[in-house]
Amino acid sequence: MSDPGDSADGPDPLLELEGVHTYYGESHVLQGVDLSVDEGEIVALIGRNGVGKTTTLRSILQLTPPREGTVRFRGEDVTGESTHDVAGRGIGWVPEERRMFGYLTVEENVRVSVGPDRDYEALREYVFDLFPDLERFREKEARNLSGGQQQMLAIARALVGDNDLLLVDEPSEGLAPMIVDQVVEALREASADTTMILVEQNFPLAMDLADRFYLLDHGTVVESGDTEGVTAEDERIRRYLSA
Amino acid sequence: MTGTETALAVAASGVAPDVPLVVDAVSRLFRPDTVARILIEGLGKASIYFIIAVGLTLVFGLMGVLNFAHGAFAMLGAYAGGVLMVLAVSSGTGPYARVAFFVVVAAVVFALMTAVGSVLEIGLVRPIYDRTPMYQILLTFGVGLILEEGARIATSARGIQPEPTWTGAAATIPNALETFYSILGASIRGFYMFAIVAGVAVAAAVWAFLNRTLYGLYIRAGSEDPEMVEALGIDVRKAFTVVFGLGTGLAAVGGVFLMWDPTWGPSVLLNIDALLYAFVVVVIGGLGSFKGTLAAAVIVGIADSFTTWLFNTGIVAFPGLPEVTIFALLVIVLIVRPQGLYGVEEVGGH
Repeated sequence: MSDPGDSADGPDPLLELEGVHTYYGESHVLQGVDLSVDEGEIVALIGRNGVGKTTTLRSILQLTPPREGTVRFRGEDVTGESTHDVAGRGIGWVPEERRMFGYLTVEENVRVSVGPDRDYEALREYVFDLFPDLERFREKEARNLSGGQQQMLAIARALVGDNDLLLVDEPSEGLAPMIVDQVVEALREASADTTMILVEQNFPLAMDLADRFYLLDHGTVVESGDTEGVTAEDERIRRYLSA
Repeated sequence: MTGTETALAVAASGVAPDVPLVVDAVSRLFRPDTVARILIEGLGKASIYFIIAVGLTLVFGLMGVLNFAHGAFAMLGAYAGGVLMVLAVSSGTGPYARVAFFVVVAAVVFALMTAVGSVLEIGLVRPIYDRTPMYQILLTFGVGLILEEGARIATSARGIQPEPTWTGAAATIPNALETFYSILGASIRGFYMFAIVAGVAVAAAVWAFLNRTLYGLYIRAGSEDPEMVEALGIDVRKAFTVVFGLGTGLAAVGGVFLMWDPTWGPSVLLNIDALLYAFVVVVIGGLGSFKGTLAAAVIVGIADSFTTWLFNTGIVAFPGLPEVTIFALLVIVLIVRPQGLYGVEEVGGH
């Protein structure tokens, strides 16, 4: 399987991880992760529970800073920077379990995501066009939204930040199939303007959305390549995804 | 001690109520002038308690820090306000000028103590965010004790009595605020009406800051999930510094009001006394809740006013009745609703 991100002749990748080792206390979670993401791509991180997918996203944002290795964004080393500086470079996060500000209204959740020097009105219009449901509930406290609406808001919050790269963690988790379709549609529309790293347990969904994938196991990348034609029955995939 | 001896001792101590006095007090309690007095004085006291406590709740709401130096900041505010008022006011200064000086002094003390609080946050509190809450409690309690003893040394060296109160500063209050006015048939001290106006102004300013500014929005979001706020590109540490500074400044403004309050006055004892009242208010209201602090301040203020009235009727001769009542309220709330009136199970959510 080829890896376009590794191409020596192509443009510099938007994001690059090199030998990233990340720990939670003494627990060695990422054990030398290497990956790269080019501008405009959707890249899926797949693997069983606990192999380090979410930790990879947290390491990129320096929420859990790597102890070894390098994270480069637009060619610049961001390892060790504060999270707000890394996010300020244009990296948005749609976390697992959405993490709404439950006591803020929908509108306030959107507003808090736009920097003081950005054109809030324009960005607000953009996301409310994308998610008309959210505009209807803009005065409602986020904790009172349904799971699907909260997921939409989480995506809207990342999009309104005018980010170049979105880190999307388990967007379909806990949602009804009909709502998952809406979320997928929203992600597909968002991907027209934004590069994306997608962590997703739902393998067919991940392969459907993504251009490329990285398969993680025990904190390292064990397989990678284009998603086209890849199925869960593929032997190289199956042995890492099956329990 | 036999039962009779105990009863006699209780009667002699004045705890046992006199039946005619009780009947008289009950009949007076429901008179409009009594109700008006309890409510208006209660709201005046509530205003002071709110100003003292709101900074504590802001700091806990965003940062999760229980600031045990909060009372010491109120004490410093009372002394700083006292020094400035004594310098600004002479015997010939009129009542309007005194009130105008007071407002300017409160603003100066607020600015000064906000800066002091910001420096303390950066220099002392920030290095221990990653440690357990016990470190924060010990550190801030230690800071409070150092400030209290520092104030005791400084006041003694200047010939000012550190306790019970610095009467020179308290005496800068204009006569108009010490005068009793008739409102709805009740006789109300002018200071309490002044305190109500100030309390409403401070509450409105804090509310507007939290709800009508972008920075206030960051603080409300940060009180729910600081990590998520950081991941949105907002420097939460800077917000911590701002909020700790504001909390310190608000405590100090509360201290400036306590300087004129007839039941308090500038004293090193404010370190502990103001801290206790602030804690009672924020715990009853729900730690970190602005609304809760407002509601609890009103409850505590009116309870204080009611028990002070009760004491003045002569039914109860125990002078500590207001304090006992307020702490009893705290105990009841902790048993019935441990998270407080508007609190949630975890930090934030307000």
